[in-house]
Amino acid sequence: MTQTPDPEQAQAAIEYCYAQGWSDGLPLVPASQPLVDRFLATTSRSPDEVIGEVEQVGRDCTVYLAAVNAAMAGCLPEYFPVVLAAFDALMRERAARGGGWQSTSGPAPMIVVNGPVRHELGFNTGGGAFGPGFRPNATIPRAIGLIVRNAFGIHPHVLEQATQGLPGRWSICLAENEEESPWPPFATDGGQSDGASAVSATLLRTCEFVDNRHTPDPEQVLADIADTISRTGSLIFRDTSAGVVFCPEHAQMLAEAGFSKQGVQEWLMEHCGRTGADLRRVGKNGLRGIGRFADPDHSADDTFSRILPSPLHVPIVVAGARNAAISMVVRIFGEWSGTATPVAPVPAALVRP
Amino acid sequence: MPYPILDPTGTTTTAAKPQPARAHRRHDLKGAIVGLLVNTKQNAAPFLDEIGRLLVDQHGARGTVARTKVNFAAPAPEDLVKEMAASCDVIVTGIGDCGSCSASAVADGIVFEAAGLPAAAICSDAFKVTADAMAGLRGAPGYRYATTPHPVAVLTAEQVKQRAANVLDDVVALLTEDE
Repeated sequence: MTQTPDPEQAQAAIEYCYAQGWSDGLPLVPASQPLVDRFLATTSRSPDEVIGEVEQVGRDCTVYLAAVNAAMAGCLPEYFPVVLAAFDALMRERAARGGGWQSTSGPAPMIVVNGPVRHELGFNTGGGAFGPGFRPNATIPRAIGLIVRNAFGIHPHVLEQATQGLPGRWSICLAENEEESPWPPFATDGGQSDGASAVSATLLRTCEFVDNRHTPDPEQVLADIADTISRTGSLIFRDTSAGVVFCPEHAQMLAEAGFSKQGVQEWLMEHCGRTGADLRRVGKNGLRGIGRFADPDHSADDTFSRILPSPLHVPIVVAGARNAAISMVVRIFGEWSGTATPVAPVPAALVRP
Repeated sequence: MPYPILDPTGTTTTAAKPQPARAHRRHDLKGAIVGLLVNTKQNAAPFLDEIGRLLVDQHGARGTVARTKVNFAAPAPEDLVKEMAASCDVIVTGIGDCGSCSASAVADGIVFEAAGLPAAAICSDAFKVTADAMAGLRGAPGYRYATTPHPVAVLTAEQVKQRAANVLDDVVALLTEDE
């Protein structure tokens, strides 16, 4: 029988972390200096470099604090360059720099990983893309959540005011299924070269499935997706932003019918929207600036209002297994920055055998 | 020798923050120019407009200057604070009725106090915890502000006026009474 580490000591260390108020509710890996040093050795950035701040709460996050939180989240040291890239990508989102982490919406980061790093680090690129079950996909977004809680000091019920939050907060990290996607990688849309290891990120309000294994007509599939995107409950402002995480089957069907990614985006921009009567029925027909309100005026009932103003508002990713025609509409909080962040190469000394 | 468990918060060296200054209070609002800092939240503008109207009609204020803070999550930008400090005698800010804007309405109040203007922040009562937390972060624990019941966004024009009338005494007290 092989000797296992002492579970009593491990439990005591885990309970210590709970008692300090550091946990998101699940057990943490207690971080030691040698472990955090292994994280810091994966990057050439200084531990003191500030990688993000939330001005209104007077707190910032350094490379060192990100490493401690990533270690506590259960990341392996070699994931750290992806954590840093994901955090850089997120801090390019206006909402993440502003009040997003405090919002009643309780938005969830969605992290998308592209390139060889997906296989080097053992990301799940296939079925169950939204998790759970795979260490890098699960721990990297958790690290982001712990940074917000611990480095920024934004705790639920205090500075964080999520009304209901959403399933999947701090747990959405997709590795794009590039191998079965008919289109260029998502990071290419974010300005990186094809084949680059890169991370993109935005904030979500929710994910909504579109199950359409019913028709061979790609435009009927797009119409089904447009119906979900055009749902009035999620419409707050004049415009909206909703991405589509296509399953390989839908993506391949569309590509075979001649749809490029841009073609899909243009189709959705054209067809997503509601009539004035639809919007009046739910009290969202009036516009004051970009805000919607209940306007008793009927005169615009026949007008069809489009809600996706540009391709940037309909980012498209391909993820999941090639086993059913189920795609996901991802409802974006604010607007995606339209950029991807390259993953800095790990210094050779640390690469695991 | 065992290793210590590392702290992920970066706040182990918390130096006591200097208590921000509180502006000198006026006896009353007669002749005062009231600055209204609107945070773009639904019904914030009519709510503060009505407060301004009541302060002129019932408390002798000379007039109002309304300004809008576009980034409701952040405290008012420095140039806006300077401009309002130069043109106004007292400030009313709000309505704090969301996760980030309630905290920032309180942060604004504290900034204007330090700039020498008595300030009254108005928040909905659903956001007291986050507003109080922000006051603590700004070195002003226990900072007083006015509250109105949640919700505010869905009130009709008539209900907004009633709410403004209901909170008026608290606003006047915040602007005129020494602590």
